[in-house]
Amino acid sequence: MKHFFNRRASGTRGIAIGVGVLLIAASASATNGAAAANGILKVATSAAVTTWDPVQSFSTEAFYMTSLYEPLIWKNEVGAATEYSPALATTWSHSKDGLTWSFDLRAGATFHDGSAVNAAAVKASLDSAKKDGGASFIWDPVKSIEVVDANTVAFHLSYSAPLDLIVSSSYGAWIVNPKALDAVAKDSKYYESGIDAGSGPYTLTSYAPGSEVVMSAYPKYWGPKPAYSIVDALITSDGVTAQQMLTSGQVDFASNIPLTSMASLKLNHKFAVKAYGSPFNYVGYFNTLRAPLNNPVVRQALSMAIPYSDIVKVGGQGYATQARGPVPAGIFPYDSATPQYKKALATAKTMLAKAGVKNLKLKITYASENGAEARFAPLIKSAFESIGVSVDIQAMLFSQQWSLAKKDPANAQDLFIVYYWPTYSDAGSDNLYSLFHSSAKPFFNLSYWKNTQYDDLIDKAATLTGTDRAASQALYSQAMKILYDQAPGISFYDTKAVYVVPKAITGFTYNINYPFSLFFAKWSPTK
Amino acid sequence: MLKFVGKRLVSALFVLFGATIITFILSRVIPSDPALAFYGPKATLDQSARLRKEMGLDQSVVIQYFKYLKDMLTGNWGYSISTKQPVLHELMTKVPSTLEMIFVSIIFATLFGILLGIWAAKNAHKLVDGSVRVFSIAAVSLPTFWLGLLFQLFFVGRLHWFPATGEFDTELKFLNPIKHVTGFPIFDALITGNFHAVENGLWHMVLPALTLSLYSLGLISRMIRANLLEVLSQDYIRVARAYGIKERVVLFTLALRNALPPVTTVVGLSAAYLLTGTFFVEDVFNWPGIGKFATTALLNVDYPAIMGITLLGAMGYLTINLIVDIVQAKLDPRVRSE
Repeated sequence: MKHFFNRRASGTRGIAIGVGVLLIAASASATNGAAAANGILKVATSAAVTTWDPVQSFSTEAFYMTSLYEPLIWKNEVGAATEYSPALATTWSHSKDGLTWSFDLRAGATFHDGSAVNAAAVKASLDSAKKDGGASFIWDPVKSIEVVDANTVAFHLSYSAPLDLIVSSSYGAWIVNPKALDAVAKDSKYYESGIDAGSGPYTLTSYAPGSEVVMSAYPKYWGPKPAYSIVDALITSDGVTAQQMLTSGQVDFASNIPLTSMASLKLNHKFAVKAYGSPFNYVGYFNTLRAPLNNPVVRQALSMAIPYSDIVKVGGQGYATQARGPVPAGIFPYDSATPQYKKALATAKTMLAKAGVKNLKLKITYASENGAEARFAPLIKSAFESIGVSVDIQAMLFSQQWSLAKKDPANAQDLFIVYYWPTYSDAGSDNLYSLFHSSAKPFFNLSYWKNTQYDDLIDKAATLTGTDRAASQALYSQAMKILYDQAPGISFYDTKAVYVVPKAITGFTYNINYPFSLFFAKWSPTK
Repeated sequence: MLKFVGKRLVSALFVLFGATIITFILSRVIPSDPALAFYGPKATLDQSARLRKEMGLDQSVVIQYFKYLKDMLTGNWGYSISTKQPVLHELMTKVPSTLEMIFVSIIFATLFGILLGIWAAKNAHKLVDGSVRVFSIAAVSLPTFWLGLLFQLFFVGRLHWFPATGEFDTELKFLNPIKHVTGFPIFDALITGNFHAVENGLWHMVLPALTLSLYSLGLISRMIRANLLEVLSQDYIRVARAYGIKERVVLFTLALRNALPPVTTVVGLSAAYLLTGTFFVEDVFNWPGIGKFATTALLNVDYPAIMGITLLGAMGYLTINLIVDIVQAKLDPRVRSE
């Protein structure tokens, strides 16, 4: 301390520290380029792991599951030459009545412990998914699964259903090592330290909860060897931080960059901004248990007050299109002929007056953690207020919004805004069923709406999807017309999946059927 | 002295007990469905009911609290709903990273706070003094998370001087892994001779530690300036100067020593503040400490994790306050007799 404030010494010391910092910065930044050369792919993602149990998995851990596990077949992206690709099954067929499906398994496929993937493993996995899985409902049509021989498995259905869609689901259809199924039956926390029991191109190497997931290439994988031998995913909840990590070169790819940043990133020559059709959309439910929202005319009027194009612009930031019903574009049974409401304030006001509605006050809830909802909810408020309906908007965590809607439906919100996606690529048996089919206890039907004609159409359509897709589509289209006429909910917009793809990476694709997943095994450094 | 410490410990226990009650009640009163964090946003009604039963949420709040207390005292702090890991294990693995950052922040804040304060006092009522005052007020007033984002934008985005996030370069664990000894990563790297990791870790720590330290730095510099000006106006200082004692000795040996004691309280309380300051900083810089764990727990209404973090935070505060009180009592016997 004695000589610290000696002017000459302190000046020299200051310069030395500054140079030291710069040298450290320069040398440290040089290590970032080493990653790609070492076959390490660094990814920033907000995909947290709710569970590593492939049977229970029903959330954002799907981001990793498609690298660790495989289904029997993959559903290909829109525009592909074939609808499905072989995975653990190489060929498949079904009976004319659609009640029996048979799958021939791939020879030589192994789980990550080296044991063979066989029919017994398939049966054990899917029986478990049907009984206990997070997405167990997708297996409702399946009566039993039969091991025909070591490499052939047959499904017997109680009613016809599109089993090819079901077995290619991103939830509840993974083929799991039977040893792991036995282990988790004894200890429900078996997987949670970071264990995988799959057969996919990558295996789980390490897991720091909430922070990092590391996957390494599985050396005995039956398919092509991935170009990246290691995928290091850094869990980063903040999108702006992820963006900084990408643009500074700290990561090679970031999956959760905010839509509001796309305009500036388009100007960066290192990246290409790519938008794809996705199965995500925004839906609003009117509380049909509460007057005057139990009157379809009032709901129609309010639907006509919504500024759809503004919401698409503000919420979707240019990467969205107004929805035609709750089925997202590109997913069965989307129908481009389904009518849409358009903004017509004068008509809305007249309809409300005719219905005898005066001094209406509505409570709207949305998930505070959803940036898009936070952006467009105020537009609904100002639109409703322009037709004489006052609005109280409440932002809350989704778990709280959900809890409020379930606790006391009659006194809950008037309009519930939600971000939704189908469990697998059949939005008839998911979106149309889950969101609006009546039930004793509402699950996702948070409009609490009951319409037997609608229910009957949906139930009948579901039984035809496997054998007569056109007939099924026709019934679903009728059901969607009822949704338009009765307006128990508002279909805001279908959102696109937008990615900032570095030009240093080749092979990036987005598959609408696996909305949370990226197929790292297909990526390689651009030569 | 023992009696003094004993009294402080007893009151600390009461504070801890009160903190657990308040946090427990608040976390139960907020409407939320833990099944959504546990199973995902499409958790079924059956899963939700099953989980509520498994977690004991179907029982009265009083019974739940006493069960929690009993488990907590036997080392079972529950399982995190969102990460499915034991809460105590999560905290113990994450605390070292946070403590390392807090340690560096305190050193930085204290050292530069004192130096700035001295500089301002030495140049009282001049441009330097005014500039330090503006800087200190800004440091105390500007939101920490905003400053963090600003630093990322400038030092990372524009200048490319520092990494945006993380404790180390990701490649380090593959190319130059740190051997686990104490669990404190940079310290372990140092004692095992992995100097590349030490350098890399410190480089990663610059921005988050700087962001975290600014509030305390501002506070300490203002306090030092004020105390030093008061001490410099004392008669004994005038006498020392009249005797021709060098100004450096007057400032650092005679004046600063008497200006420091009140600042120890501020440093201690700042250290306590830094514990909660990490909530924002670790989220912005993706630092794998308890701050990031805490923000995730809050957003998921992860009751067991929230309780664990509150308990740990309360213990931390109370420990730091106790240390500050003991140091104060040692420095100033009047405190002991009060």
